[in-house]
Amino acid sequence: MEEHTAATVSTNPKHQALIDRLSTRRSSTPATSSDSARQVADFLASFASTKLSIEQSLSECRSRADLDQIAASISSLEQLVAQNSYHLPSYELRSCLKSISDLRSAFDTASSGLLPRKKFSFRNKAAKKDEEPKNVDQSLEISIKPSENDKRSNLSVRDGPGFRNEKDETLVKDFRLCDIGQGDFTLSDLENCRVYLKGRVRALFFNRIRNCQVFTGPILGSVLIEDVTDSLFMLASHQIRIHQAKATDFYLRVRSRPIIEDSNGVRFAPYRLIYEGIEEELKESALGEETGNWANVDDFKWLRAIQSPNWGLIPEEEWLEIVDISEFKE
Amino acid sequence: MGLLSIIRKIKRKEKEMRILMVGLDNSGKTTIVLKVNGEDTSIISPTLGFNIKTIAYQKYALNIWDVGGQKTIRSYWRNYFEQTDGLVWVVDSSDVRRLEDCRAELHNLLREERLSGASLLVFANKQDIQGALKPSEIAKVLNLEVMDKSRHWEIVGCSAYTGEGLLEGFDWLVQDIASRIYVLD
Ligand SMILES: Nc1nc2c(ncn2[C@@H]2O[C@H](COP(=O)(O)OP(=O)(O)OP(=O)(O)O)[C@@H](O)[C@H]2O)c(=O)[nH]1
Ligand SMILES: [Mg+2]
Repeated sequence: MEEHTAATVSTNPKHQALIDRLSTRRSSTPATSSDSARQVADFLASFASTKLSIEQSLSECRSRADLDQIAASISSLEQLVAQNSYHLPSYELRSCLKSISDLRSAFDTASSGLLPRKKFSFRNKAAKKDEEPKNVDQSLEISIKPSENDKRSNLSVRDGPGFRNEKDETLVKDFRLCDIGQGDFTLSDLENCRVYLKGRVRALFFNRIRNCQVFTGPILGSVLIEDVTDSLFMLASHQIRIHQAKATDFYLRVRSRPIIEDSNGVRFAPYRLIYEGIEEELKESALGEETGNWANVDDFKWLRAIQSPNWGLIPEEEWLEIVDISEFKE
Repeated sequence: MGLLSIIRKIKRKEKEMRILMVGLDNSGKTTIVLKVNGEDTSIISPTLGFNIKTIAYQKYALNIWDVGGQKTIRSYWRNYFEQTDGLVWVVDSSDVRRLEDCRAELHNLLREERLSGASLLVFANKQDIQGALKPSEIAKVLNLEVMDKSRHWEIVGCSAYTGEGLLEGFDWLVQDIASRIYVLD
């Protein structure tokens, strides 16, 4: 049991620090109305990271003592929500309370899983010694090893529709003129190109884009962007994931929170694109209205309450004018 | 199954199954869980951390752990392995470029001792997307047949978008787990 207690001591101050930060913020900030939006945003950001931290401890907890600490952290967090409830908008308040109740049920699940196992605590000890995944046994290890030849031949399965390996080009695709709209579209290895995609498509993939400008109509599913530098993207989509982006501006309309990972120098602004028929297409794709989510970016490399240094907003006076791409035809 | 784990299973709350959903980011894990549970799937953000849902399925309570698949948080997957009865590996069948990553992450996971007793369901998701790879193609690329002797596994094509294939997949998983765990009833 002793070694678990040691682990507990190191996890708990983390929650405590987060919770303390939440409460100092509250008491040190006079609730003037101009501040209150920012205050709410700050509170929610730290609430989210505290929640994440508790979830992580929950998933790692190995002993009754861990559980007790976690229970205490959940209660303090709940109390803080209650104290802040006077300035939290009702939707946010509800979702915080919902998160707390989810935490409680995760806690219940974790504790029901843990209790019977206590009898076999030597199992935990064995697992503790070796945090790395262990090989089950030699035969399994061999049996799951993929054959190198297989993998090569199989992976070159096929390339879907897309623009690949282009330089200094203007590339136009109109999904209304073909049946790709029910499929996905890939843009990879483009340098110094301007890309205009009109009409709707289910999914978009970007990979290795240098010094390009990309303008698209609505995407029904998700956009996955990897390895882009010195570029500009104007996209409307249900989900947007950005990996390894550098020095790139994103003009987005998005239903959920955009995320970045392993990126820096990326900036965000709202979507401002027009071409013939775009209004209806956006509406039919449930992207007709600005949600404000273009500014609600989550940085997976920066799960803390303070603003990530990896991204920012483009100052309004620098925003592009509304971009009209009607003239570009396939 | 070792004696200890048998004892552990029967001591557990009746008819409960713990299901771990993993896979690369963007594969559709959260969408699948919400769809199966009859919830709105129109606004889903990439998962920071994890979600737990308890879903009544046939006569079982499925405790579904949906864990985020972004690269940064994959290293936390192992925190969720303990006592997993069923593993659901979700694949975006239209993301051909990352299939190699996908296979590497899956085989990494399957080396984990704590998952050695879990049934494996592979969802070849996004079948509604024109040009998506078929389940048989995904099975080949992921080299699933090498597990024939070491684990119960199944691959099912599905679309979290239309709902097609989801129940078929969960039916297989639940039956397979039940036949291992509740034989002692
Ligand atoms: N066309 C289509 N899109 C899908 C399907 N399933 C999921 N999607 C879309 O794929 C994107 C990713 O879905 P999520 O459920 O967030 O993926 P996830 O696996 O939970 O991702 P992480 O939380 O980052 O690990 C979303 O935009 C979904 O709308 C499907 O069957 N068909
Ligand atoms: Mg998710």
